[in-house]
Amino acid sequence: MTTVGIPRALLYYQYYPMWKTFFEHLGAEVVVSPPTTRKTLTEGASRVVADTCLPAKVFVGHTVSLVGKCDCIFIPVIRSLKSKTYNCSKFLGLPDMTRAVVPEAPPILEIEIDINRGKRRLYQDIYKLGRHFTWNPLKVKEAATAAWQSLLDYRELMYRRELILPQAMEEITGESQTGLNMILKSQTVPPTTIGLIGHAYLLYDEHINYQLIRRLQQYDATVVTPEMLPGNIIEASVNKLAGKAYWTYEEEVVGAGGHFLESGVDGIIGIMAFGCGPDSLMMDMVHRHATRQKTTPFMCLTLEEHTSETGVITRLEAFMDMIHRRKQKGEAVCV
Amino acid sequence: MKACLGVDVGSVTTKLALLDESDELVSHVYLLTQGRPIDAVQQGLRDIRKQLPQDVDINGVATTGSARYLAGVIVGADLVKNEITTHAVAALHYYPDVQTIIEIGGQDSKLTVVRDGIVIDFAMNTVCAAGTGSFLDHQALRLDMSIQELSQRALTSQTPVRIAGRCTVFAESDMVHKQQMGYRVEDILYGLCQALVRNYLGNVGLGKELEPPIIFQGGVAFNQAIVRAFREELDTEVIVPIHHEVMGAIGAALMAHEEMATNNGISQFKGFEQSEVKYHASSFECKACPNRCEVAEISQDGQTLARWGGRCDMWERVSSTQLYSSEEIK
Repeated sequence: MTTVGIPRALLYYQYYPMWKTFFEHLGAEVVVSPPTTRKTLTEGASRVVADTCLPAKVFVGHTVSLVGKCDCIFIPVIRSLKSKTYNCSKFLGLPDMTRAVVPEAPPILEIEIDINRGKRRLYQDIYKLGRHFTWNPLKVKEAATAAWQSLLDYRELMYRRELILPQAMEEITGESQTGLNMILKSQTVPPTTIGLIGHAYLLYDEHINYQLIRRLQQYDATVVTPEMLPGNIIEASVNKLAGKAYWTYEEEVVGAGGHFLESGVDGIIGIMAFGCGPDSLMMDMVHRHATRQKTTPFMCLTLEEHTSETGVITRLEAFMDMIHRRKQKGEAVCV
Repeated sequence: MKACLGVDVGSVTTKLALLDESDELVSHVYLLTQGRPIDAVQQGLRDIRKQLPQDVDINGVATTGSARYLAGVIVGADLVKNEITTHAVAALHYYPDVQTIIEIGGQDSKLTVVRDGIVIDFAMNTVCAAGTGSFLDHQALRLDMSIQELSQRALTSQTPVRIAGRCTVFAESDMVHKQQMGYRVEDILYGLCQALVRNYLGNVGLGKELEPPIIFQGGVAFNQAIVRAFREELDTEVIVPIHHEVMGAIGAALMAHEEMATNNGISQFKGFEQSEVKYHASSFECKACPNRCEVAEISQDGQTLARWGGRCDMWERVSSTQLYSSEEIK
């Protein structure tokens, strides 16, 4: 039986249930690299040029940790998911970059998803991927349909039942995800709702974001993430804020940000990686709208390879203080 | 006399402030941290005690600054608060109508935007430390003058030269270049001050509305040349509070008072005798998982008081020593 390795980084967070279903339907076994640790990051950073972004370094680190544990590594390339949207070049060159910097890696399974080229080409590409496991097109089709269904189920868990991504992942794959169990809150203080915006690979990698969600929960905050918002709402917000989406993953930042600004959360925190081109544009757009709107506090945290978490903690504490004191003052005025 | 104590341990200086029941400043101390925060806090406690009457009764203690958790363990803090909040609380206490708070310390510079007495936005310098006190100190040292002299001489400048302020490395090479071209030192120094102010406004102040009244606090506010540069650049009055250098500690004391008043608690303050206790700080690499966290611990007479620095809370509970066979993972 073939073992397919999947690095626990970048698109893993959004699509893993789909990939797992696809490969398992084709009779393969799936292994995921263990959660990010300092070793993963150091290993990844030591192999790429210095100005590669943090999430890409993490990705390389995960790939290295899969060497010797699988027969091939699956690295999809997502060019576009909607017509006339574009993705960052780091995503487009991911398999080639990995081959270059991890020469000891087993063969890399690729698929290029580009909606711009039409559905026919997409189906051909899926079949090409499936052919590594079977010659029977019907079997590939069956696997692809099941995979798509599990992605829909996964998303539904997040936006209909408001499960935070790791919980949904755990429920659908049956694999335990480290940590991030919702803390049951005592309702002594009025709950504070924080809208988080940013890519899933930053929001849910506890190592690189210094356990952000866990910390927010410790400050008695209810966290709402982009995955918990239904697609049509997010899409409408993107159109409102930015006109037509340009980037493939614009919804997670601009869409969610726009929605949070309108839906009345107590504060919005944006998470981006230092040196990320698309994010620097998208976060700025949300920031500008927040400044103009004046009612919802917004803060952007930039993640980098700092080993000290002090900077992030001080900002988070100050942000939560700001919201709490604002609420206290507001209530005092009402009374 | 009942009083509340605020302790602010920053990267470069340590500040203590004591407020009485009506939140009046009774006494304060300001000393260098010199990379030894524990000693600095103990020295601060010793110094402030000398200024106090015998009957002083500490009702609440709060710590702030980058070493707030460490300081909190030593003094027995009732509240540990970040320095952004404490600075805002102190500024609002003295100037209820403040709209903008500029705070520049040893390694951090911050901007807090206040409207109607409520903090609505803040920013902190990110990857760059250009324009903070440490850099000015470094430049003064390089020119073989004290930081006071740098401030005095820069103030006399009439025709400042332009220095690149984006990056401390570039600023330094720019200054060297201008010196070698023969410009007056005074003009170069004031040019440097202007560059730092420009950098602050373009970095920390980016996209923020800086409305007057503007309060400028923190150690760098001692530097009259920087104050002048801010006034000229913003074209408005910049208020420097009398106790601008201990505002963080004052804010902490105010918050300690507030906290004790709402919770009616008894202070955890360990007493001024703590200044004589021998503390031992150490660190080790935890080997329990591949993260290899650098865990710091502080102990007194061989008994661990607190640990931090781990990604998980395995070491933070002091009793962990018994739970884990420490020899294996330490």
